[in-house]
Amino acid sequence: MEIVRDRADEIEIVAVEGRVDSTNANEVEETLVPLLDAGGGTVLVDLENLAYISSAGLRTLLVAAKKSKASGTRLALSGLQPGVKEVFEISGFSKLFDIYDGRPAALASLS
Amino acid sequence: MANGSSPDDALAVSMPAALAEIPVLAERIEAFCDSHDIGPGVAHAINLSLDELLTNIVSYGFDDPAGHTIDVRLEKAADAVTVVLSDDARPFDPFSAPDPDTDAALEDRPIGGLGVFLVRELMDGVEYRRVDGRNVVTLNKRIGTETDATE
Repeated sequence: MEIVRDRADEIEIVAVEGRVDSTNANEVEETLVPLLDAGGGTVLVDLENLAYISSAGLRTLLVAAKKSKASGTRLALSGLQPGVKEVFEISGFSKLFDIYDGRPAALASLS
Repeated sequence: MANGSSPDDALAVSMPAALAEIPVLAERIEAFCDSHDIGPGVAHAINLSLDELLTNIVSYGFDDPAGHTIDVRLEKAADAVTVVLSDDARPFDPFSAPDPDTDAALEDRPIGGLGVFLVRELMDGVEYRRVDGRNVVTLNKRIGTETDATE
């Protein structure tokens, strides 16, 4: 798993790549929580190169969504691949997140 | 990971009870699926289900998982893949927990509790038995129809 940070205008971009499972989900949480706790602003989590997520990763994203709501930081996701999308749909997460097809569409809408 | 003896349409693995072994197993299962005409959607469903169940067994099944192994056997038939997990962890039926409410609002969604639910949803059949002092979970996934693929 790799986490690649970027910034476009005022948007913090966190690209999560590879596999997120119980061995590394905490790294994603440690990256996202400080950004979301800061309050205000926008965080985009780009999942375009994420091939796999287990419930440990979903748990982390749910923590992030709750933090975002509490602090008033906008949180969006982009680029869900088929396996990830399937898991989002089964778990009801599609309804909990602001999801865009890809990073360009997300940035255009969030800017 | 040790290799079991297996016929062509089966994969038998005796896996050390450690989280780091789960991605290793996943690669072997992907290779097995690739070489047995099992599509990526089914392979993903099997690997995710195994990940969820194995993570629970390794994390909560033992006072200390070191030295324990978990047996995983995958068998391909004409219309389905059957996966059997067998472990000597403390007795636990993973399918005894109630399903989460996936329609709940964000503030009402509890953290956690999704893993076994994913297994139930991704598989076509799940079963738990306690046999000779071991937990035995059997998963069944239909193959051969593209509707089982993720797209």
